[in-house]
Amino acid sequence: MDDDPRFADFVAERADALLRYGYVLSGNPHDAADLTQEALIRLHRAWSRVRRKHDPESYTRVIMARLHVSVWRLRRRERLDWDLPEEASLDSFPSDAEQGLWEALEGLPRKQRAVLVLRYYEQLTDTEIAKVLNISRGTVRSHASLGLGKLRSVLPHPTAANRRTQ
Amino acid sequence: MSDDLEDHLRSALGHASERAPQAPNGLPAQVMAHSRRRRARAQALVAAVAVVAVAGGVGVAAHGSGGVPASGTLSPAQTPSVEILTSTPSPSGGQASEGPDPVEKVWPQAVWKIPAKLPDGRAFRPKTFIDDRTLLLETWERPGKADALYSYELDSGRTRKIADIGGPDVFPFAYAVGDGRIVWQENDSSDKGWATRFRSVPVTGGEPETITTDRRVLAVDNELAVVGDRLVFSEAEGKGVFTVPLEGGALKQVKGTERHRVVRWPWVGVLTESVQNLPENYERLLNVDTGETSRAVVRPGERRVRCGVKECAGGRADGTLFHRLRDGSQEGDLPGSVPMGLAADRFHTFETPGPRRGQVLYDLVTGKSGDLGLPFDIDGPPISLEPGLGNGRLLAYPRKGEYVIINLTKIP
Repeated sequence: MDDDPRFADFVAERADALLRYGYVLSGNPHDAADLTQEALIRLHRAWSRVRRKHDPESYTRVIMARLHVSVWRLRRRERLDWDLPEEASLDSFPSDAEQGLWEALEGLPRKQRAVLVLRYYEQLTDTEIAKVLNISRGTVRSHASLGLGKLRSVLPHPTAANRRTQ
Repeated sequence: MSDDLEDHLRSALGHASERAPQAPNGLPAQVMAHSRRRRARAQALVAAVAVVAVAGGVGVAAHGSGGVPASGTLSPAQTPSVEILTSTPSPSGGQASEGPDPVEKVWPQAVWKIPAKLPDGRAFRPKTFIDDRTLLLETWERPGKADALYSYELDSGRTRKIADIGGPDVFPFAYAVGDGRIVWQENDSSDKGWATRFRSVPVTGGEPETITTDRRVLAVDNELAVVGDRLVFSEAEGKGVFTVPLEGGALKQVKGTERHRVVRWPWVGVLTESVQNLPENYERLLNVDTGETSRAVVRPGERRVRCGVKECAGGRADGTLFHRLRDGSQEGDLPGSVPMGLAADRFHTFETPGPRRGQVLYDLVTGKSGDLGLPFDIDGPPISLEPGLGNGRLLAYPRKGEYVIINLTKIP
């Protein structure tokens, strides 16, 4: 294991972006921090190999997605020194439809959510998503279809959704 | 409209990402230090295993298979320590430094290894037990899209096709067995929005039939149950628990289950969510047969507490893990990472450190553990064997051209 200064640079530059990704994957700041922390630790342990063969950021994002849908995502033994809000930010979404969708995402199984995040946040193709999650393209499509179907059933008409009172 | 939905989803995810926490100062140094500590600890554990195994052997043997306490009756003193768990000696006396023996050696009466392909070469996935000696297998048209069901007799190895299932744009999933039938759910492809259709077929084979319902059923939780001649399911989003005759008919809401979901029939629960205790947990349970209720104890600072019908597991405020009865008594330590729920209120899987890094199935009741034979591979597929809550008694996973089948109810 080496302490390549480029690793420190990478973390300093990309941690916030990874946290944003972790946040939309998991839906809460604690899991976002856990996912990012765990993925970066694993990246550090594999740094020289990863740097030779992969783009470190893609590698880290793949690890985060896989952790999120796997049992290891729940490791929470030693949290680093994060200063996390106990509640989600109160900033509101620009529309009720978005607020409603964000809330409805909470109800999806992890894999369905991960597929939707990879497709609509990471803008990956279904083939790329299949590779990231190590599942078939058919499974990606079925997760996406099930996930979208559930979102649609919760919000039959997102533009007309009016779930917030303020 | 679909495009509206997709556009809103893109936009919602983008806006949501702006709410993410920011990385603390000094994160790179913290990550590097943590990574080094983890490596050092793994090495230390490997070195410690041989020593602990000798000391721990007595304690574990003292409550081995001779007088196994019933599930949920362990006293804290009987609960093996975490150190012992990583090195539990097996009855057959495997070398301690090599970790626990394989599951098939520890629980021979409960573990089968079967070929990973049907006689015609097709791949399959074991889904549930039809009975103690017969498995329900699913094959796919393409991965993720089931197209046929088979039964597999564990004693004879005989495979029999039950039925072709699915169809264009139809994805069958979530099987349950009862009243001589196999029941599952699938998306209703004729419906533009999301709707669920239930189908069933005799376990002896035949033509699948739709279980007609008197109203559109939206998304349904995966946990189905067959009780008598009725199918039991919960509508997702906590709309309540319903039954419908297997032959089709009117849905009937189970009394008192307006927000409940099926946990393990006849127990239903309401998910309790809080930022401090994600993911959600069934803190309150109701037995719909007897009216008995149960409220799980969750102490301040505890995280990720997940409760089954008898037992809870989760993380303490200090980062260690526990399991205990729902009423808060008989607490013991739990190795590994926080589970998504113990299987059958007694089984847990966790990752072992050391050179033979892999996954272990651990029995809280006897303290025995067995190596699942799944090597840890950071670049490999995210194999995670997680028993979870619910009715499941089947643990199945592919291993070296075979499927390992574990019937949890056969573990003494």
